[in-house]
Parts: sequence; structure tokens; C-alpha cells
Amino acid sequence: MLTAVKNQIKVTFLSIKYACMRQMLNKMTFITNVLFMILNDASFIVQWIVLFSLKENVGGYELKQVLLFWGIAAGIYGISRFFFYKAFSLSDIINEGKLDAYLVQPKNVLISVISSDVSVSAIGDLLYGYIILLIYGITVENFLLYTFFIICGGMTVANISIITSSLSFWFSKSDAVMDTVNTLMVNFATYPDGIFKGITKIILYTIVPVGLVNYIPVRLLIHFDLKLFLAVIGATLFFMGCAFLIFYKGLKRYSSSNLMISKI
Amino acid sequence: MKVIEVKNLSKTFKVKVKEKGLKGSLKAIVKPKYEEIKAVNGVDFDVEEGEVIAFIGPNGAGKSTTIKMMTGILYPDSGEISVLGLDPKKERKKLAYEIGTVFGQKEQLWMHLTPFDNFKFFAAIYDIPEKTAEEKIAELTELFGLEKFINTPVRNLSLGQRIRCEIVASLIHEPKILFLDEPTIGLDPVVKENIRTLIKKMNKELKTTIFLTSHDISDIEKLCKRVIIINNGEVVLNDTMTNLKYHYLNKKIIEAKLEKSLKLDDVQGIQVLKNSNGNLKLEIDTSVTNTSKILELLGLDNIKDINISNIPLETIISDIYRKEQSK
Repeated sequence: MLTAVKNQIKVTFLSIKYACMRQMLNKMTFITNVLFMILNDASFIVQWIVLFSLKENVGGYELKQVLLFWGIAAGIYGISRFFFYKAFSLSDIINEGKLDAYLVQPKNVLISVISSDVSVSAIGDLLYGYIILLIYGITVENFLLYTFFIICGGMTVANISIITSSLSFWFSKSDAVMDTVNTLMVNFATYPDGIFKGITKIILYTIVPVGLVNYIPVRLLIHFDLKLFLAVIGATLFFMGCAFLIFYKGLKRYSSSNLMISKI
Repeated sequence: MKVIEVKNLSKTFKVKVKEKGLKGSLKAIVKPKYEEIKAVNGVDFDVEEGEVIAFIGPNGAGKSTTIKMMTGILYPDSGEISVLGLDPKKERKKLAYEIGTVFGQKEQLWMHLTPFDNFKFFAAIYDIPEKTAEEKIAELTELFGLEKFINTPVRNLSLGQRIRCEIVASLIHEPKILFLDEPTIGLDPVVKENIRTLIKKMNKELKTTIFLTSHDISDIEKLCKRVIIINNGEVVLNDTMTNLKYHYLNKKIIEAKLEKSLKLDDVQGIQVLKNSNGNLKLEIDTSVTNTSKILELLGLDNIKDINISNIPLETIISDIYRKEQSK
């Protein structure tokens, strides 16, 4: 069992390494993609700086704390799009019957598929997240916590994408559901949770769980609380379990295709 | 020893039926209609260890669906499959260590990597230790003649070189059975012949059982001792190549150059394909008449030159497809 897990991790990292090498073929494109993503992320901060020059706090948070929302959101986005990039096009992979190559390999199909490509710009998001942490005030403790939270968050975001994409096994074009949930996650992740009330808040901690991957980690970076920390771990495991369960349940309904396919 | 046993295998696909135009699209949203297509319908067959077997049929016959169920890609609706004693539905991962697959139409290799890096990746997938993997790669590189391009990125290789690499990638883990789905598709005759020689070599030297599908009859004729023909999801023929030729070769072609022209239009069992200036071409139905009678009819002294040949295997197989299609 342990050897199998070790081998799966080895193959996953090898796959990510090769996918990364593919993206690095054009050095200039690679570097500009990373740098422009950092610039793109940074441009959004300007509006908050303007806002905080007019108001002392927003939703109970100061400027540096709001920056943390951006840092965590960028980190989560970076992790999910770098390590599990194909989770965001899983619906197409299922609809077009492209799982065959992974199904004949003695490895976990889901992990093999989602880690078969990387997004270069995600490296920019990842770096930007750490730059924000540096501005916020980096310590060993919050560096480790931040890294842990973006890994958990990245996994949860990918798992939500897997859950919604797996609906394609039952009805085609579930990518619309996936896109909507992902867009909502990104849009709400950069606002302090103090400004949301009532039903919106409930939605943000359940259907679109930005609260679990973003708001709680920010609160924990400001003031650590063991119960909330365990809640983050619990939520990560819950969404992971659901993703695997739904994907493998759907896989039994998979219908392949005879499309001419090239692994470019 | 049987390595593959398939019993009463069936698979149905549900396909959405849509009427034409925008009205049809709207109707399909409100009240969708589905049609059930039986891709595979009660298929039975066995494969012995070390066999090179051809699994053929026209497009849409159910070949690929059957192979995909045998390799664990698709779940069957009913029936039993045992590949090397394993159930592909329940033991997909375990089975994957024992079989290899090459889909001529689908790329398994990373295009930007060299064949060597690709083979290392496949070795990692099959949990093969580094040293063993390198030894195996060296052995297969020599067997398949990959030395010249082992370090060239796959995207820069010719189709023939790429297919050879695809086959090697599927052999890294020494599979007991290799499923080859149209391995020679799109290749020129010289490369096709090269691939066939390698498949033969692989079967002989590595003792790999080969399960081959191809639309190229030469692949089947030159490689396989037994053929299974599938049509409309059902096995319509499961026999040795020798029996196939014996039972279905009831027609012969005679081409002759004669001193004096003859009129043969009214002779039973003969179809005159060409008859001009002493050049004669006949198709003989040997179930009605026989070759010696025709030779007598032509007159041995009258024959300047003669060639007697069988109907090509391709024609026989096309006839079987057509007969089954018209049923």
C-alpha cells in the first residue's frame, strides 16, 4: 500500500515535471507568462489602496489583512492550476472520451489525468502569493501555515472542479456548472468576508466554499484557532472524498471515443 | 493455456436522437429521445497463449468496444471477460501491469520528449526500477532499431518511427498480451512491412500473445494464424486462416493466352471477365465446376501461357462483411 502511494506520487511529480518542460520549450513565452501574471495580480491591489485611503477598515479588516485575502487567493489559484490543471478541463476530457490512455495504466486514473498538464501563469500566481505574505510580514509560523492553507485550498478548488466536471458522465456539458462555480470562487475570494451577510454567507461556506478555503485561513493567519484549523483540514478531506467518489461512480458510465488524439 | 476468455459479452450505448433544425434542438431539450445501439451483442471467443490473432470487422462492427472492455476502459453491460485470469472490470490496475496497448490512432507518447525520456516515464508508471528500465530500454532499442532517433524529440520523428516507439513504450513492462489496434494505419508499404516483421519477432522472441485489429488484410494474412470476424456486434466467423481460405476459396481466377479464341459464355460455373484476341480471364466457381475441366475445355495444345490464382483474401473478407450486412 505504502509503496503504491510512493510510486503514485513519483509518477505524478514526473508527469508535472515533463508537462513543465513542455511549457519551457519557449523560454520567452514562459518568462513573460509568469511575469505578466504577477503584474496582473498586483494591478488589483491599487483599487484597495485607494479605498483604504478613504476608509480605515472594510468589513473589519485593515489593508494588510485584505492583502492576505489576495495572497491566499493567488496561492490557491496557483497551486490548483499548476498541480491539477487538467481538473479544469476534465469535463471536455470526459465528453470527448480522452480517458483511454490513463485507463490502461496501472495508476490512479483521476490523479494521472489532472496532473498531466500545468499552467505556466500559475507560477506567477504562486510567486505573487508569497510576495504578499512578505509584505504582510513573514515569519516561519505564518509561512508554514500559509503554504499549508494554499495546498489545502488548491486541492479543494480542484476537487470542486472534479465534482462538477464529473457530472459530464451523467449529462454532457457540465463544464458550464464548473465554470460558474470556479468564477464565483475567484470573485468572492478577494473580498473580506465581513461584508457578506445572511444567505450569501451560508452559500460561501457550503456550495461555493470560499469561506473554507479563503476566509478561515486568513482569520487563522491573523489569530490561530485549533478548531478552525481542524475545520479546514476536515473540509479538504470531505471535498477530496466527494471528488473521488463521484468521479469513480461516473467512470462506470464512461463511453470512450475513436477520435484521432495526439498528446501534444 | 487460454489467456483470454470472453463469454456472452454485450454492451449497449444510449444515443440521443435529435430531429433536424432548431425545432428539433428545442424538442430535444423539452422531451429528449434516446436510441439504444447494441455495439456488442453476445460475443464469445477464447485466445490461447502465444497466439497472434486477428480481430477484424467493418467500421462500427464492435471491435474497439470489445477491446476496450477487455482492457478495462469500458464496463460491459453483461457477460464475462477473463484476461490472464483477471476481470478487467474489477482488477483494472492489476491487469494493466500484464497487458500492453497500442492504439494506432491515439498518441500515448509525450511529443516534446525524446523516446528515451518517454520510455523512462512509462517505466515509472509500471514501477520498474531505474537500472532494470535502462537495461530493458537498451534491449528493445536494439530489437526495434531505434538507435538513430532514441534521443530525438517524438514530434520530429516520422510516423513509422513514432509507431515503433509507441510499440516499445507498451513493451517496457514485458506484457504477456499486446493489444494492437490498427498499428499500421497511415504507414507506407515499406514501414508497414517493417512493423509486421517486428510484431512477428516480438511474438517469437518475447512470447507475447498478440491481439490485432486492422483494416489492412495484408497485416492479417502475414501475421495471424486465426481470425475472428465481428459484424453488427456479433462474431460471424472464428476460424484458422487455413480454414478460412479453404472454405471460402471456392473461386479461382484463370488468366490465359490462347492460340485460338474460344466462346465460353454458356459454360456453367464460369464467368468470363475478359475475352479478346486470345487473351482470356475467367472466374471459376469451384463448387460448380473444377479447374481441370476448364483446362480440358481450353485445350492444352491451345494454351500459350496460363496463370491460375486464388481470389484475394481481401475479397473473401469483404464478401463475408457484405453477406452479414445484408442479413
